[in-house]
Amino acid sequence: MRRTAITLLVVVEILPLVWLFLSSLKQESEFSLNPVYALPEGIHLQNYVDAWTTGRVGTYFLNSLLVVLPSVLLVVLLCATAAFALEILRWPGRNKVLLLFIAGILVPGQMVLLPLFTIYFQLGLLNSKLALILTYVGFGLPLGVFLMVGYYKAVPREVLEAAVVDGATVYQAFRRVALPMVGNAIATVALVSFLFIWGDLLLALTFTSDSGERTIQTGLLAFADQYGARRWGPTFAAISIATLPTLLVFVILNQRVIRGLTAGAVKG
Amino acid sequence: MKRQLTASLTSVAMLATLAPMAVSAQAPEDTGAPVQVVNLTVVQEGQGWNALLDLITQDFATTHEGSTYTVEYSPQEQHSQKVQLTAAQGALPLLYTAPELDVIAQLEASGYVLDLEPELERLGVLDRIEPGALSATKTAFGGKLLALPMQLNIEGFWYNKQLFEQHGVQPPTTWGELIAAGETFQAQGIQPLAASGIQGWPITRLISGYIFRSLGPDAMQQVDAGTASLTDPGYVAAAQAVADLGAKGFFGQGVSDLDYDPAMDLFLQGQAAMFYMGSWAVANFNDPERNLIGAENVGFFPFPNVEGGLGDSTQTPMNIGATTLWNKALYDDAAAQWLKAVAQSYGNVALAEQGQVTGFVVDAPPAELPALTQLVTAQIAATTTSVTWFEQLFTARELSAAFQNVVPLVTGQMSAEDYMRSVVDAGS
Amino acid sequence: MAAFLRDRRAVVLLLGPALLVYTAVLLIPIIWSLGYTLFEGSILGGFRYVGLQNFETLAGDRRFWDALRFSVGYAVASTIGQVGAGLLLALAYVFWLGRSSTLVRTVVFAPIVLPTVAVATLFAKLFAIAPQYGLVNAGLDAVGLDGLIQPWLGQASTAFWVIVLMDVWRAMGFYAVILFAGLVEIPADVLDAARIDGARRFTLFRRVLLPFLRPVLFTALIFALVGTLKVFDSVVALTRGGPGSATTPLTLYMYDTAFNFLDYGYGSTIAMALAVLCLVVTLALFRFARADVDR
Repeated sequence: MRRTAITLLVVVEILPLVWLFLSSLKQESEFSLNPVYALPEGIHLQNYVDAWTTGRVGTYFLNSLLVVLPSVLLVVLLCATAAFALEILRWPGRNKVLLLFIAGILVPGQMVLLPLFTIYFQLGLLNSKLALILTYVGFGLPLGVFLMVGYYKAVPREVLEAAVVDGATVYQAFRRVALPMVGNAIATVALVSFLFIWGDLLLALTFTSDSGERTIQTGLLAFADQYGARRWGPTFAAISIATLPTLLVFVILNQRVIRGLTAGAVKG
Repeated sequence: MKRQLTASLTSVAMLATLAPMAVSAQAPEDTGAPVQVVNLTVVQEGQGWNALLDLITQDFATTHEGSTYTVEYSPQEQHSQKVQLTAAQGALPLLYTAPELDVIAQLEASGYVLDLEPELERLGVLDRIEPGALSATKTAFGGKLLALPMQLNIEGFWYNKQLFEQHGVQPPTTWGELIAAGETFQAQGIQPLAASGIQGWPITRLISGYIFRSLGPDAMQQVDAGTASLTDPGYVAAAQAVADLGAKGFFGQGVSDLDYDPAMDLFLQGQAAMFYMGSWAVANFNDPERNLIGAENVGFFPFPNVEGGLGDSTQTPMNIGATTLWNKALYDDAAAQWLKAVAQSYGNVALAEQGQVTGFVVDAPPAELPALTQLVTAQIAATTTSVTWFEQLFTARELSAAFQNVVPLVTGQMSAEDYMRSVVDAGS
Repeated sequence: MAAFLRDRRAVVLLLGPALLVYTAVLLIPIIWSLGYTLFEGSILGGFRYVGLQNFETLAGDRRFWDALRFSVGYAVASTIGQVGAGLLLALAYVFWLGRSSTLVRTVVFAPIVLPTVAVATLFAKLFAIAPQYGLVNAGLDAVGLDGLIQPWLGQASTAFWVIVLMDVWRAMGFYAVILFAGLVEIPADVLDAARIDGARRFTLFRRVLLPFLRPVLFTALIFALVGTLKVFDSVVALTRGGPGSATTPLTLYMYDTAFNFLDYGYGSTIAMALAVLCLVVTLALFRFARADVDR
């Protein structure tokens, strides 16, 4: 009974994904001739070729990587340093600044679209990866700082004190003592911001119009617009391509993240 | 048939050349300078007019070396926003797909819309646009020629000749006959009508079609002028008539899920007997890979008459399709030469490449014109009065309400009265 | 120690860059945007000062209240689904699977990492009725339940639940991990007691586990509520707010108002209402959590 329940659960979770993958291997005619739950008659890799070439998913993929990697690095770096200053260091007004950061979690992204668009235009940053990176970092900070502050709370003060006794500067204490203790936390912040940035549609759509600068999500939307209604095969292939990296990153970071979430959630 | 088309097209061209041209300004000198045309458009690269403008530019580049045509694709849902934001920053490209009328008015006030008529006249190519198309385009923009008639479309019902013959159905001439025909097909397990609920407009055009037939061709203008309201009984009756088609199941059970192309496929794969659409779809009807029933099996009948109504089938819904505006701020002498080239060859290229009827003069018609293209041309020639469509004079808010709520209307989730009220409310 | 922690220069160096980016990308634009609530018009047509008129319009705007009702109803249903299913999963991990639940945990967690556009496109196909039956309708057809075949996304009632289902499917594994984390922190003897005393399982859950879980549960609830109140991408990609405007959340109504209906001032007013709503919900949860602890 227990085993059945768990098997059922796993099936429900992965069935849509299995269906997605199997469907991406089908020929067009199979969708209209066979029921959609039928297994593919062969392995029709042409769907992936179509998605990658005519759908230009390859270009979008590369664009996304070039935006996502620096953004995630910056988010992690800035959150780690800022949260250290906010949680470990003592100075007047730090609680207010922390609250200011956390309040950012509540702000709907649509609220800042127009002012940001204006700013980027004046600076000539539209259609550039820099505009996207800056925005993603800004949007990644509130949640990242909130999470990191939670993790720093768990760093025992005695360890820091010991470091000071040994003559370490504040920067050394940060790098050699505090940072190594929040490794899982960094993995968590990295994953959470990666998910947000890789999956973003709204900001990418607004700040890039050049089809050469399109990211994977805006590209996927354009692809679904163009082919989605009629050509299910290549559409499923494109979704699979957009999905795969997140699954890979997840498999790599999985253990650290689950541990990181464990530590952070309890303290948060 | 073929000769008739050529004759009608050339006679129009001759009329235009005979008319004395008013020369308002000196035509600019062609210096052979290159032009980099960018089009912010809802059509994907290599599709529709992009393919045609690209061809024309390639030809243009032989005398104006270095000229290019680039597409900046903008998805339909975000297009209006994109245009406004870009315009506000003065970054609109030379060409862009027209947004809603109220946005165009603001763009024009800010100097981002070129009035093409004086320009075409100055360049000596105004006669490349057929008079009928010229007036239709101007009507659509409140009296100014803000776009080129890159398409000239009629709308009506396309039907599957074979299915009609098999079941002994004649093309309906009245609304009652349309319903009777639908019931015949319904009883045989054939979906009477294919329509896209996701797009919305293919169904709202049935409402306006009914309105024009029952209340007369100026019925929508009266609403705009404030002498009539969409919530008046005559207008509500039109929404009710279309809701009744839905209640009878004529649109099939998946109307809410159908997008433009799958709806067309239902018809072209013989699963639906009738399909209301504009003649731009003839390009798809002529594609043997897409059209499984065969182009020879596609027939056309005008929107049926409504018993006791004030309109009739000589009044045809006609339009110039989605339109492209020209940014006045970027329009210079080099762009003017390109405009001239477009005006001179668009009609020929569009007809030859895509079988697309445009509002431009065609002086080199292809030897073999597809039968359906000839049918469209004949229908255009037979039209005495052209009418527009339901949303033509709507603001963006009304437009959105009209499109969004039409699926609830035909699936019985919203009454005809509530539907019309939702459109009126959106405008207030 | 004191001097070390009060190093002002370190504060500036460590906090400065983050604060700078945050101010430029969020704070200034937010204030800028708040200013718009007092104006009418658009960036293109120019702005006109209208005082508090936008707020009056808001109070009488039926579409706003419809969108608010949808946003709140959807947020509540999704949060209950996500956190509720997450809690059941977490309990299953601990009591059924013990510490060897890694594989199941990973599999169930996986959907949260998928891009929302991809997930929504997938669900649109799952629940499709035309041009082909999607997996759900085809399945019903195969087992003879023809009567249940319906346009799931074309009816207000079913579309709502499909969106909720999609969100629960996507996020329950995430909340399960967070709550699991809370459960494994609970001392082993307490857990053993809970395990042995199977008869009064619910009481034990309420008396023993819940107090331990409260802070984690609280975090999960805030995450879920705020996340679902701000939903945009998935609804746009799945239903486009339809049928009619039945599944239009505040975010989508705000977006339409500002960018499609050319009324940036009113759009900003709606955005502000949404931000206030998120704030009120968070504060209410905080207060609730604190009152609970005090008692």
